[in-house]
Amino acid sequence: MTSLIAAIESQARRRAGAPALSWHKATWNYADLAGAMARVSDALQSRSVATGDRVALLIKNSPQFAAAYFGVLAAGAAAVPLNVQERAVVLARQIEHCGARLVLADPTHVEFGELGKQLAVAGVAVLPVKVQDTADARDVFCESLGAPTQRGAAPEIKPESLACIIYTSGTTGRPKGVMLSHGNLAANARVIANYLDIRADDKVMCPLPFHFSYGMSVLNSNLAAGAHVVLEDNLAFPQVLVKRLQDEAITAFAGVPSTYSLLLGRTKLEEFDLSRLRYVTQAGGAMPRQQIQALRAALPRARVFIMYGQTEATARLTYLTPEKLDEKLGSVGQALPGVEIEIRDTEGRALPAGETGELVARGPNVMLGYWNDPEMSARSVRDGWLHTGDLAHRDADGYIFIDGREVEMIKVGAFRVSPQEVEEVLAALPGVQEVAVTGLPDELLGQAIKAVIVPKAEGAPTVMAVKAHCRAHLATYKIPKIVEFAAELPRTSSGKVQRYKLV
Amino acid sequence: MSDELKEQIRDFILENYLFTTDKSALGLDDSLLGRGIVDSTGMLEIIFFIEEQLGVKVKDEEMVPDNLDGVNKIAAFVAGKR
Repeated sequence: MTSLIAAIESQARRRAGAPALSWHKATWNYADLAGAMARVSDALQSRSVATGDRVALLIKNSPQFAAAYFGVLAAGAAAVPLNVQERAVVLARQIEHCGARLVLADPTHVEFGELGKQLAVAGVAVLPVKVQDTADARDVFCESLGAPTQRGAAPEIKPESLACIIYTSGTTGRPKGVMLSHGNLAANARVIANYLDIRADDKVMCPLPFHFSYGMSVLNSNLAAGAHVVLEDNLAFPQVLVKRLQDEAITAFAGVPSTYSLLLGRTKLEEFDLSRLRYVTQAGGAMPRQQIQALRAALPRARVFIMYGQTEATARLTYLTPEKLDEKLGSVGQALPGVEIEIRDTEGRALPAGETGELVARGPNVMLGYWNDPEMSARSVRDGWLHTGDLAHRDADGYIFIDGREVEMIKVGAFRVSPQEVEEVLAALPGVQEVAVTGLPDELLGQAIKAVIVPKAEGAPTVMAVKAHCRAHLATYKIPKIVEFAAELPRTSSGKVQRYKLV
Repeated sequence: MSDELKEQIRDFILENYLFTTDKSALGLDDSLLGRGIVDSTGMLEIIFFIEEQLGVKVKDEEMVPDNLDGVNKIAAFVAGKR
C-alpha cells in the first residue's frame, strides 16, 4: 500500500512545480506542500509526539490545513481535524475525548482565546500556526512551527495504524469519533481517483470542509492523483462561485445537495461558459431526482456522479456511473471495486433484489471503530461488516437504492413511511425549492407527518396544493398532516438536514 | 439614504445573528462574511428580510458582496431600488 504521504512525496519529486492547492491569491505546488508537511512532522517529533498520539487541528480549509494534516500523519501520529465552525466548549470536549495532548491552531480563529483557556486548565499544549493567503504564506507557516531540527527518518507508516479521527455530525445526535487507518485513507482515495478518472491536470474546486469525510476525500483523492485543488471559502455568493468555475477553467466540482440547491436556485448556470467542467460529484445525503435532472440540464457537458457513503466507511461506498443516470435515476449505483455490499434483514440474512433491509459493507475502507467506544464499535462493525444504519434495496440489475435511515422512518398507524420518499414527491411540485419531512407525535396514529417547505422565489404553493399533489402520487397514509413554510431548513455543519429539529 | 434604513438593517442583523441590542457590536461597514457573522444560509435569510421586510426584490445576479456584505452596502442597494 502506498500511503497518502508517499503519494504526495512522489508527486513532489516528479512534478515539484505542479500546483497542489490554491486559496485566494496563494498557490502551493507539490514541492511546497511536501516541504511544509516535512516541517510539521519535524516540529511534532521535536515536541516528543509519539506514534499513535493524537494531534488536533483547528485550521480552516487552506494549504496550511493540508500541510498540518499530512505532517501529523507523517510523524506517525493521528490527526483530529476539528470543525472550525464549532464553539470552544464542544472543541474542548472532543480534544479531551480523544486524549490529544497537542493542538495545532490558527490564532485568528474566533474561539482560539476561549479554547486556549480551557486547554490550559487541562494541560493540553497549543502550537499556534500562521494561516495566511499571501504569497509568502508557506514560509510564514513554516516559521511559526519553529526552527527545523534535522531529525532522523520519520516513523514507518503501517496500513493498519491510526491515521485520523473524524468526529461525525450524525443527524440524530451526539458526535462520535470515527477512527480511520492509513490503509483506509489510501484505499478509498485510490479507488475514488480511479472511478472519477482524476487526472494530474484536473483543477477541482472544493467548497466542502476538510474536517468532514466528503471534503477530506476530495483532498485525499486529488492530491494522490497529483491534481490541483482550488478552495472556495463560502457559498454566500453563489454567483461569484460560478463565475470562478468559468474564469478559472475549473474541471471538476464537489457538492452536497444544498450546494446544488443554492447554485440551481440562485444562479443561471447556462449563462456561463462551463465547457471545461468535466464532472461534478454529489454525496452527503440524498438529492431528489428532480434536482439531479435539473443539475444535468444546467450542465449538459459535465458528467454527474451521484455517490453514497459514510464517515465510518472512510468516505465512499458506492457511486453511479453518470451514463447510467437515465436508466437508474434515484440509485446510488454499485459498490466500489474492492467493497462488498449486502442488504440484510433484521436477523442478518441477505435479502433478494427488491427487498429493503440494512446496507452492510465490507472492504479496506471500513473504519477501525469509534474512539474509546468499544460498545458502539462492536455494534457497528461485526465480523468485518460495517452496519451502516441505512435502509436500502437492490434492483434486479444490482443497482442500490437508499430507502432511508432506520431511525428516521415515521411510524404512522400500522405503516412505516420514509421521509425521503415524501420529500422526493414534494420536491417535484412547482414552487418547492427544498423540503424536509419528519414525524410528530400524534394521539391517534402514533406519529403524524409534517412537511416543511422552503418555497422558490417566485412563490409558495398553497397548503391545499401541497396535499393534493401528495394525494396524486402517494398512498393516503403518506400525505403530510401538517405543512409549513420556512426560509431555510435546519442543517448540520456538513449540510445534512436535521429532521428532528423540524418538530 | 436614511439613517433609519441603516439602523433597521443593523437591528435585524444584531437580533438574528449577534443576539444583542448593543449597536456597537456591528459597524456599518463591517464585512458580514469577513467577521464570520453570516454564512450562506444566513445570507439567504438576509435576502428574505430585504424582500419581505424592506420590500425590495433581489435578483440572482444582484447577490454579490458589493450589494450585501455590510449594513451600508445593503442600505445603498435597497435605497437604489426604491
